[in-house]
Amino acid sequence: MKYLLMMTGTKAGVDTYRAWSKSDVERHFAHLTSLNKDLREAGELVANEGLASPEQAKVVRAGKDGVPITDGVFPEAKEFLLGYWLVDVESPERAYEIAARLSAGPGPGGVPTNMPIEVRQVMSARTSEPGM
Amino acid sequence: MKYILMMNTMKAGEGVLRWPKKDLQAHGAYMRRLNKELQESGEWVFAEGLSFPDQAKLVRAGKDGTPITDGIFPEGKEFLAGFWIVNVASPERAYAIAARASAAPGPGGAPLNMPIEVRPVPSGPPPEML
Repeated sequence: MKYLLMMTGTKAGVDTYRAWSKSDVERHFAHLTSLNKDLREAGELVANEGLASPEQAKVVRAGKDGVPITDGVFPEAKEFLLGYWLVDVESPERAYEIAARLSAGPGPGGVPTNMPIEVRQVMSARTSEPGM
Repeated sequence: MKYILMMNTMKAGEGVLRWPKKDLQAHGAYMRRLNKELQESGEWVFAEGLSFPDQAKLVRAGKDGTPITDGIFPEGKEFLAGFWIVNVASPERAYAIAARASAAPGPGGAPLNMPIEVRPVPSGPPPEML
């Protein structure tokens, strides 16, 4: 069963993270690197990407003639996807366990952030058809 | 340059389930054609469609690291419905692909013109991870 684990944050949340000390950032990334290594060794990691910062996000709509209309304005409270993990696991419980490990990533001073991770199953039959 | 194209929906996006079958099929055929074109041009990295928002869970680590699972989200929350990762020559090309996805037909065949969020995906891990 494939699950998508989503780490999200608001622009304000991202700004808070940018104020972390270098050692806090390094500790956090060491946690993620070690989690990724475990998932890779277990054969559970399908894909993992970190996204560019929310400032670089655009929202695109098709205009009347199909030409892209690009806009960079989002509501203040919008949650941006910061990164995702696509995992292939035996059960939803295993997906939740992995999400909990992500959630427990250390923040400032090494205290677990306990940030929320959204978990949703991916429709395998539709893998190549996101729209449908 | 890798870009992620995100199709977001509110919970109301479940309304798609009430579309007439013919409209759903036309929408699906449009997306399959787009995917095929992206595969042929070598721009398609991968794409996934997600299950409906009612299956979403929010997971936090409890004190001892055990998962605390919750299914309650704010009313206005946007849910990711599906995404594409594409590898393109320019941001403009990513926007053009997003516009194609945006124009997918809805009920009665009218273009949905739905918003597609587009963001670069850095090609390597962040410097902190190296």
